[in-house]
Amino acid sequence: MNLVQLFLAVVMFGSLFSVLTLSLNLQYARGGMINFGTVAYFAAGAYAYAIVTQEPPSGLDQYLVGLHGPWWAGFLAAGVASMAFAVLTGWPTLRLRGEYLALTTFAFAEMLHSLLVNERRIGNGTVGLANVERPDPGSLGLPDAWAYAGAAFLLMLATALVFRRLLASPYGRAIDAVRDDETAAEAIGKDIARLRFEVFVISAVPIGFAGALYAMITTLVSPDLFTAEVTFFVWIALVLGGERTILGAVLGTMALVGFQELVRAFPFESVRAAEIAAAGEDIVTGILFILILRWQPFEAMVKRRAAA
Amino acid sequence: MKTQTIRSMLLKSTLLAGTFAASTLAASAQEVTIGVLVPLTGELGEFGKIVAGAVELGVAEVNAAGGTKCGMIRTVVADTGGNPEVGIREATKMIESEGAVAVVGPTSGVMVALVDLAKRTKTVIMSPYAGTITLNELGGDYVYRTVSSDLGDGAASGLWLSEKGYKRVAMLVQNEESTISPAQVAKDKLAASGIELTDYVIYNPGQPSYQAELVSVLANAPDAIYLAGGQESGVTVIKEATAGGFEGEWLFTADLAVPEIFDAVGAQYLNDRAFVEFADADSSLPEYKAFDALYQEKNGAEPGPFAANSFDMANLIALSLEKADACTGEGINAVIRDIADGGEAVSSFAAGKEAIAAGKDVNYEGASGPLAFDASGTPAGSYSIQQAKDGKWENVKFYPASAFE
Repeated sequence: MNLVQLFLAVVMFGSLFSVLTLSLNLQYARGGMINFGTVAYFAAGAYAYAIVTQEPPSGLDQYLVGLHGPWWAGFLAAGVASMAFAVLTGWPTLRLRGEYLALTTFAFAEMLHSLLVNERRIGNGTVGLANVERPDPGSLGLPDAWAYAGAAFLLMLATALVFRRLLASPYGRAIDAVRDDETAAEAIGKDIARLRFEVFVISAVPIGFAGALYAMITTLVSPDLFTAEVTFFVWIALVLGGERTILGAVLGTMALVGFQELVRAFPFESVRAAEIAAAGEDIVTGILFILILRWQPFEAMVKRRAAA
Repeated sequence: MKTQTIRSMLLKSTLLAGTFAASTLAASAQEVTIGVLVPLTGELGEFGKIVAGAVELGVAEVNAAGGTKCGMIRTVVADTGGNPEVGIREATKMIESEGAVAVVGPTSGVMVALVDLAKRTKTVIMSPYAGTITLNELGGDYVYRTVSSDLGDGAASGLWLSEKGYKRVAMLVQNEESTISPAQVAKDKLAASGIELTDYVIYNPGQPSYQAELVSVLANAPDAIYLAGGQESGVTVIKEATAGGFEGEWLFTADLAVPEIFDAVGAQYLNDRAFVEFADADSSLPEYKAFDALYQEKNGAEPGPFAANSFDMANLIALSLEKADACTGEGINAVIRDIADGGEAVSSFAAGKEAIAAGKDVNYEGASGPLAFDASGTPAGSYSIQQAKDGKWENVKFYPASAFE
């Protein structure tokens, strides 16, 4: 086991998924919207990045567009694509409440997944787009793992700061008001539909950026990577960390990724041992969830900090 | 009290981790590490276990022969569940933390995701079953496989369909990369041979029924149906086509080359009428027979699919280490092509080691067949066609690699 390696992996993937948890936190805990389609915005970002940076199709490729643009153009496009998808899905659905919205967003995510699988002209269908271009941090004298862990951490930090600023402003209080009591908020002149829509769209942008970074890290985008499992992962992280606080969302995600990495950190030298570990991981994960949900240590930690 | 416990636990785990790190460092002095990255869980879990087992067998043989110049081979095994993201995380760990010089066993999706990492960290990655056409473009440098490309399956199917003398053929293809790419090649071959393609249907798996897809296929009454589907969808398609009055012949792809299909569909509907095409080691080769005997002796069972290809990976890497100037991925990459092609033919690590020690060039002839790599790091494949007879698959045709030249 290599502790530096473990630390880097936790920071890289923990920060990356924290961006998703933070956005979900804004939508759900503050905006009162249950979005069960988080993965779709993530996928939209990753695909946008890949399409913008990918070379034009050749040989066996079936995708139509590859712009071969620079990485920053792809990164920006990822944010725009995710936002556009949020506008597209948010406009017709946000009048729905509670579980109805959850179902609809879930359906939208499944539709996007199905589209990516079946419409091979977008991203080669099930083959996906491989060997996605990414900036080489070597020119800055940084090892790749450090650079991408750092980039993910910065993205998380930026997302957290922007969201904190947003929620601390009068605008944030208006959002809280809408969540707590729509009728009352409307009575004092808040445009509920617009506020909800804005929160939904704003929170999709960092998810898109995270998608681009994810594509850079994995160097592959394929429908396999963007299943409902990602959505559930983020939801579990949010529940673990306790809702409503930015620190809680980050802690929950870091703990979840950290646990995954820790379980896998021990090298297994025989197939039998690896098999047992693979089977045991799920059991241990389940037990840990029960324990955390029972005692909610992260939420308690955040509260204690707030009290101090 | 509570914090005390947590603190002591943290301390303990740090100590434990430290011990682990220390033991790995101490061990690496006379060992060389190979990562075995396979799906042990998930859809392809069964294949992963066979592959990992055969690599272990190969490594045990190498170590029994005294190990390589770089020391005994140590394996670290990890499960990907078939997920590329997990694959990247695990491979990174193997390379950075465990010092693996090669990572073997990833499935197609994981393999494609690892290409960049392999080239960046100068680590050889090798798969015994990733037929994906994406690697036809990406493979070659640090990226190898001991199985032929999916396109070869298509060529073999196309060859069989045209040799069989069918006039009208329909194609039913599951919407997955591993089924669509060979189907495209087979389709081109049909067109070139002047066979009429009555229907070309791509369907999504997981449906309760495929009647909608079959309506037009059956209406055109083809002589044969080429079915590239998984076991679940394939069985349903065959049953529904039979119920719909299809009386022609079938050609299935590898996924259906299992005995269970006869129970699932009903042997009477398949006997004499159904054929199956799959990549196959030439079982008449002495190298394969030797491997088969060894496998049966150690495991008490017949080698499963891709076991021979996996065994070959272990030998190729061990021989490359033996010959390389340095015990690194870069060293392996520099000599692996020479090991696989040109020189004195050897079929085991022990023989190869001896030949290398005598200063000779070696040509490792694998249990799965000749392994000379093309530009994309892929060997030419050989294929078998089997026919359903009395509720069993029986060999009717073998296409050696030379059949496609």
